[in-house]
Amino acid sequence: MLAATMSLEAFGTDREIALLKKRDPDAVSALVGRYQHRLYRFLVRMVQEPAAAEDLFQQTWIRLLEKIGSYDTRRNFEAWLFAIARNLAIDHLRRRRDLSLDETDDSGLAASERLRSGGPNVLDRLLDFERGEILAAAIAQLPVIHREALTLRFEEEMKLEQIAEVAGIPLSTVKSRLHRALESLRTKIEGNV
Amino acid sequence: MTEHESVREMLALAAAGVLDAGEVRRIEQHARMCEACRAELEAWAAYTQGLRRLPQPPAPEGLLERTSARILQERTAAADHRHQALLLGALAIFGWMSSLAFWVLVRETTGGVLNGWAWWSASTALSWATAGTAALVLGRREMRRFL
Repeated sequence: MLAATMSLEAFGTDREIALLKKRDPDAVSALVGRYQHRLYRFLVRMVQEPAAAEDLFQQTWIRLLEKIGSYDTRRNFEAWLFAIARNLAIDHLRRRRDLSLDETDDSGLAASERLRSGGPNVLDRLLDFERGEILAAAIAQLPVIHREALTLRFEEEMKLEQIAEVAGIPLSTVKSRLHRALESLRTKIEGNV
Repeated sequence: MTEHESVREMLALAAAGVLDAGEVRRIEQHARMCEACRAELEAWAAYTQGLRRLPQPPAPEGLLERTSARILQERTAAADHRHQALLLGALAIFGWMSSLAFWVLVRETTGGVLNGWAWWSASTALSWATAGTAALVLGRREMRRFL
């Protein structure tokens, strides 16, 4: 059943790509609609500014349509799409503040400080943890390459191979980056408790 | 590095679900005997479950419509740009060919006696005429778009 569903999805995607190569407006809208939540979420996690994420979201689709003619259908479409978005996000971050990719980001500090001062009792802290707010605030403070690894693995549920394709790095680097991201996240959270 | 230390290093990735079957078996075997690693694995599992249930940033209202409009706008601009490039290319070829034709025609009709000043005047007039035509065509397109 699962295999049948997957093959149907793959067929749909192939057909859509063929229509995309013809710049079919309905196919473009359908594909943008299908990925809007996931791609927007990924970009928000990367750049942490909703307005910039929306602009990058739109640029991603424009860039995709520019490149669709040379898209190799043997490649994983999602990985290709997210790689385009990722590269635009990295360029944006570099332009915005001359950011080194493995530097700690300070844009999540305000949320973290708010959480730290806003929930004085243990129950509030547990509820915040349950709601994921502490985790989200801690992730926001991580370097962009760690945020990227965490969101691709746990929110997009990508395999290591797909993450490697999106980030353009070897599999071993993805593994070590994911490990370091988890360790840093835990250190930040347990350091704040 | 002892087996305990080696397994402990792998616990975060085990909870992330990215280890191969052999590594998972090895961790399970060790965790059955080691309470500290079992507790650590549970702690990592709490983190990774939390990461799968983070608060979701909602996609802004009208994102799809704004994206479709921008794609259309970019495509129109790109088509205009291509059209202008083609037009300028065609005008350049036309200018070059008409200069050549003019040179052949004048040479045939005058027997090659036209002086340098006359050549310069004639070719300048021809160049200006070509550039004027290009400006007129492109200007009218821009004006139509502006209006």
